[in-house]
Amino acid sequence: MSDELKKQNNEFIKMKNVNVYYSNNQAIKNVSMDIKEKSVTAFIGPSGCGKSTLLRCFNRMNDEIVGCRTEGSIIWNNVDILNKNIDPVPLRRKVGMVFQKPNPFPKSVYDNIAYGPRIQGIREEDKLDIIVEKSLKDSALWKEVGDRLDSSAMDLSGGQQQRLCIARTLAIEPEVILMDEPCSALDPIATGKIEDLIDQLKKKYTVIIVTHNMQQAARVSKYTGFFYLGELVEYGKTKQIFENPQEELTENYMTGRFG
Amino acid sequence: MIKKKKISKSANERNPFFLKFNFKEKSIVLLLFSSASIAIVVSIAIIYTLLEGSYSFFTDPAVNFFDFIFGTRWIPSGNNPSFGILPLLSGTILIAGGALLIGAPIGIGSALYLSQFASKRIRSIVKPIIEVLAGIPSIVYGFFALIIISPIFRDLFGASYFNAASAIVVMSIMVLPIIVSISDDSMKAVPNHLKESSLALGATKWETSTKVVMPAASSGIIASILLGLARALGETMVVTLAAGSVANLTFNPLNEVQTMTAYIAQVATGDIPPGVAVSAAFAVGLVLFLITYAINTIASKVVIRIKSGSKSKIKKRKRDKKIIYNFILIFNKVLTSLFKKFLSTIKIRKKLTLEIRYRKQRRGKIIVSLCLIFAIIFLIYLLTNIITKGIDGLSIQFLTSFPSYKPDLAGIFPVLIGSIYLMLLTMLFAAPLGVGAAIYLNEFARDSRYTRFLRRIIQNLAGVPSIVFGLMGLTIFVRVLNFGPSLLSGSLILTIMVLPIVVVATEEALKSIPKSFRDGALGIGSTRWQTVRHHVLPNATPGIMTGIILSLSRAIGETAPILFIGAVFAKTIPSSIFDGFLALPLTIFYWTRHPKLEFQTLAASTIIIVLLILFIMNITAIIIRQRAQSRRNW
Repeated sequence: MSDELKKQNNEFIKMKNVNVYYSNNQAIKNVSMDIKEKSVTAFIGPSGCGKSTLLRCFNRMNDEIVGCRTEGSIIWNNVDILNKNIDPVPLRRKVGMVFQKPNPFPKSVYDNIAYGPRIQGIREEDKLDIIVEKSLKDSALWKEVGDRLDSSAMDLSGGQQQRLCIARTLAIEPEVILMDEPCSALDPIATGKIEDLIDQLKKKYTVIIVTHNMQQAARVSKYTGFFYLGELVEYGKTKQIFENPQEELTENYMTGRFG
Repeated sequence: MIKKKKISKSANERNPFFLKFNFKEKSIVLLLFSSASIAIVVSIAIIYTLLEGSYSFFTDPAVNFFDFIFGTRWIPSGNNPSFGILPLLSGTILIAGGALLIGAPIGIGSALYLSQFASKRIRSIVKPIIEVLAGIPSIVYGFFALIIISPIFRDLFGASYFNAASAIVVMSIMVLPIIVSISDDSMKAVPNHLKESSLALGATKWETSTKVVMPAASSGIIASILLGLARALGETMVVTLAAGSVANLTFNPLNEVQTMTAYIAQVATGDIPPGVAVSAAFAVGLVLFLITYAINTIASKVVIRIKSGSKSKIKKRKRDKKIIYNFILIFNKVLTSLFKKFLSTIKIRKKLTLEIRYRKQRRGKIIVSLCLIFAIIFLIYLLTNIITKGIDGLSIQFLTSFPSYKPDLAGIFPVLIGSIYLMLLTMLFAAPLGVGAAIYLNEFARDSRYTRFLRRIIQNLAGVPSIVFGLMGLTIFVRVLNFGPSLLSGSLILTIMVLPIVVVATEEALKSIPKSFRDGALGIGSTRWQTVRHHVLPNATPGIMTGIILSLSRAIGETAPILFIGAVFAKTIPSSIFDGFLALPLTIFYWTRHPKLEFQTLAASTIIIVLLILFIMNITAIIIRQRAQSRRNW
């Protein structure tokens, strides 16, 4: 535990000179940044600035997009995860992802969460029961759905579905959780619950969140990166970015002069 | 399982995400890849068959290549055979062209009505009717042409017993579904803002439809006509039954003519002595294949142009497209000038008052709705005629006895069993292959040159005339692989024929599964196959099943490809896959041509059975689809 504490807030993931291309368009231009461990880092910027694209580099989801090409390196655990020798499948078990729209599988609540552990070879019912309960408790959903694990995940409300997706991610015990505008499809109350949850998650996980909502970035994150047209304009402590931005572009964006 | 974990643990110490060789995943992908690549093997087999047969034809001393192309007499048997393909070509052009001349205006009119004027309720009634027209096997149309339409021409115009006119009329209905559905799709795809801007300028709905929507959708309409033409050129059963088997160089529709497909069918049914006349079928098949291939290629390029819009992504294709575009432009100009001439012959008043414009709209609407009504009346006429003709022959005895030379003793028991075996075997082969190919193309294939090539090959296979599959099956399965004229050969031929349909239907089902399911599964570390296996396939199953059933319903009515190998008579039902077989459509074919008129009634009774089976299959497919839709919670 003490070892982990020491590591806390140290540079954890090092991103160096990352470029991403969609066939001929360059979506990310030479971005280098360090993500700190067990903290929340927010990526903000106007739509189309490449923040989601960059997020999807961390678990190689860009591999799934036809014509997408990535250059540069992301060093994590002394391994360059952008290297071709890296298998994205085990990587994604360590770097979980929550998507913009809640996307539970059309199965029961239980099966949604147990799916990840099951494909890793955990078959014992009692073990799975424990994992499901723990994940649901960690995602603050246990009180609401603990008594109806067999009902379809599709019957849950949007906010509950999104927390179920977070629980599904927690069940595979990742170290990093990527969130791609997780609240954009939710109402304010559901958003509040997710934000509380993110606050809890940062104790155990490194969270990187892409958000459209600047207030949200200010509320949940410790570090913020501001992107514009594929470039990282400014990166630092959230407080500083919001209260005393160094770049004019950032200030213009913060004050709503463009968007 | 335990062993695997140990290996990954030792690898973990060095690099947790080291890319390992995943044997299971790789072999599954290889399997899927191979089932998709079967299409290439099949295409090579078809081309080999046609070239090999044509080679032995052209190297025969009795044949002269120059005479083949320019000769005006096609007399394959007898003491002094002559092989000039022009009579066959003229017969083909007469019938296919005539069918389009009637079918295209009716089809486009119906599509215009459906897409622009019909209410939702009318659409929901008419669309299934069009689908029914498409689903009726060609052998049924053939029976209808010879037994019911042909006598009308004989009595009214003094046509010969076999005549081109009856084939033309029936075939014009057969090409309707293709023309209607593709034209309808392209007219519905015209962006709303175009229509709205025309209406906002004070145009009536009719003016908007004819002057804005139709020109905007012209490439789709042309593609639909081309595809209809390819269908008409490749059609075998109607022309074989109704148009006759004498190759006359004539354009008089009341005469007897022979088409290219009809000649191949004549060879298949053994009316031609073996020798050079049989290998002539391969040369004719090659010509037919090349013509339909060219038409389908042009049509598909036109369709691609619609889909990708005017901006071309690949520069290489630009020139290619320009030629096609110019072709379309010229075609358009010719059409519109013809249309205008046609209009100018009708008296046009100089002052266009609002009243006249409205009257025009009313008349136009009536004309295009009449197109639809014509198609519906035809369907009703066809069904009632066949049912009244065949209903008396239906009995338990008919279903349980064997075919006989005495009409009152004849039954279809072995025929029914043969068709069911054939269908089951076809499903056994086509379902895994087709679904596998579709999974590969939709879930695993990258957008590489090879993938595009595969897609084109599969698309081309769908456009090959069915009788050509028969030629290919005869050479490859019966002779080269030595399966003989057996159930196995028959089902393999049908498998190849329905494969493109299964692939397309399965891909459609796979595409309807939202991407978010795949993202969700991949995001928590599923492999691609796990994603497909656990999340895509279970949700796509109803759609895939529907596709398989519908493609089988196509197979059960198909006659031409198994004409070469199906038996005419059998005393027992087949006991192994290497036995010969009888099949429902073949029996209908032979009974329709039987000199004893009583057998025509039996043919009609058999048609009722076929239609009943098709009806049951389609209802099953619809039930599966609707149940899946009502249960679907995403």
